[in-house]
Amino acid sequence: MTDETMVERPGGREVKDADDRAVKEGREMQSEQQREDGGGAASADGPQRDAGERRKREHVVGPVSEFPDGSHRVVDVGGRQIGVFNIRGSFHALPNICPHQTGPVCEAKQVVGTLLATEKTDWDPEWVKDGEVLICPWHGLEYHIPTGQCLAFPNIKLRRYDVSVEDDQVVIRLSSRASPSK
Amino acid sequence: MAETVVTETRRQRKEPLTDLLVVDLDVHLHESPGELAPYADSPWDVALDNIKDNHEHYLDMPSFSPGVSDGSYQAKFPTAHEGARMVHDQGQMRDELDELNVDLAVLFPDHLLKLPVLTQAPYASALARAYNAWMLDKWTSQEKGLLGAIIADSHDPQDAAREIEKYADHPDVVGVYLPCAGIDPMWGHRMYDPIYQAAHDADLPVLLHSVTVTHPVFPFNNHGFDTELGRHACSHTFSIMANIVHMITTGVVVRYPNLRIAVTEAGLSWMPFLCNRLDKEYLERRRDVPFLEERPSHYLKRQFWVSTQPIEEPENMNDIIKMIELYDGEDRTVFASDWPHHDFDHPMKVNQIPFPSEEMRRKVFGENALELFRIDSAGRRLNLS
Repeated sequence: MTDETMVERPGGREVKDADDRAVKEGREMQSEQQREDGGGAASADGPQRDAGERRKREHVVGPVSEFPDGSHRVVDVGGRQIGVFNIRGSFHALPNICPHQTGPVCEAKQVVGTLLATEKTDWDPEWVKDGEVLICPWHGLEYHIPTGQCLAFPNIKLRRYDVSVEDDQVVIRLSSRASPSK
Repeated sequence: MAETVVTETRRQRKEPLTDLLVVDLDVHLHESPGELAPYADSPWDVALDNIKDNHEHYLDMPSFSPGVSDGSYQAKFPTAHEGARMVHDQGQMRDELDELNVDLAVLFPDHLLKLPVLTQAPYASALARAYNAWMLDKWTSQEKGLLGAIIADSHDPQDAAREIEKYADHPDVVGVYLPCAGIDPMWGHRMYDPIYQAAHDADLPVLLHSVTVTHPVFPFNNHGFDTELGRHACSHTFSIMANIVHMITTGVVVRYPNLRIAVTEAGLSWMPFLCNRLDKEYLERRRDVPFLEERPSHYLKRQFWVSTQPIEEPENMNDIIKMIELYDGEDRTVFASDWPHHDFDHPMKVNQIPFPSEEMRRKVFGENALELFRIDSAGRRLNLS
């Protein structure tokens, strides 16, 4: 997203003027979910080209010490704003664009839990998913961080970027499809 | 919501928001007792000064904007939703509206959205006078595209009429704000005639704006709802509808046929309902409204402008077009963001509505507002005497 027509948004975010396209990039696309895993990394063209492609897509965003447990931060990765979350040692990476109205979803000041009620609880609310719920600052839409799932709308899911810790560095791999974090 | 994020790439080329004239019918500045005190008449300046260091809850401050609102009757769980955003000065407003691609905006208050719930009439009208003077001094600027709606306080219609006459030819004033939250009796009552008359004479539209409160008057006696979702769903919406019904059924629309009336923050989906319901009532009860010469929906469609915010988000955004067509609203629907409030609309969401023509897109985003306010695309009034 290095387009010249980037515009500033309240809160200091930069997105394309074509907001719909930006939102699409943030949303996990149905077609991406259907593609098989490992299509990019396991290329048949040989190790050298393969390694080069992997290096091109890798982004080191910082030492793991700068992403303590329970914290989250928006980083710039190849022109994209990505929120990196450390939930009890597991890392997750989500786009900083809410599919609702392009709000800075990962700039939530705190990660929280939420209320659910089921038949099992006799429809009484329980506080659940503590530390795993991202609430968009703009309009309050809730997302389950580990899965990207929007709690209000089952057909809306944030894409999850490939994030891992390697040699004490937090690494994000940008590919053309969303790879579910393991 | 899946449909709402898909771009209609095969339609005619959409004008980008940066190129569209965007007039925002409803944005909110932030006022406080300390800021109004220097503009307030004696002895009310003493009272405002007295509370200026008090803690300010969002839209909730004793002796300024009292009363329950914004979920105070229920449990408060941790959240990251920034529901109490405020804009504190003209510069901040202009910067943030630029980021939203808004060109011209009409300013409304924060706390004084609840003005009608104050029981002390002379204090309330003093607040309105102080707010009007302060707003025009510190906030509005036609050059910067920040225009003002002056408050008409319902507690003292004669005083409100004097305020309208005072500012009738102010270049920054484009409308008269009629507060609806907790108002009793509702707009339409003949005691408010001096206000309609003054607005009519000044060729200023009246702009109805409500807010969620719990107050013992219809439709704000909403304590029966468990949740803020229930209260909020039925506050702006029911308030605006009820006030419109009152204004039509008391004959305001007939006695002031050239008075332009805009309503805010209720979305637009109720318009077809109201048109149809009133027409059906008219069949049986025409003699309740003998002054109407046409069916009620004709007045509603002709004399009322409806702002989009909070724009409804059905699974198929084309439903919005269907609803606008049902009330012939192509020339009466106007964009509003409600920035910076908790349920503001970024223009990109309204821009996702599959308008059947670029002409309609331009009308909703700006041209209808120019017509409503009698201003040009730079925000200059065309109706100054």
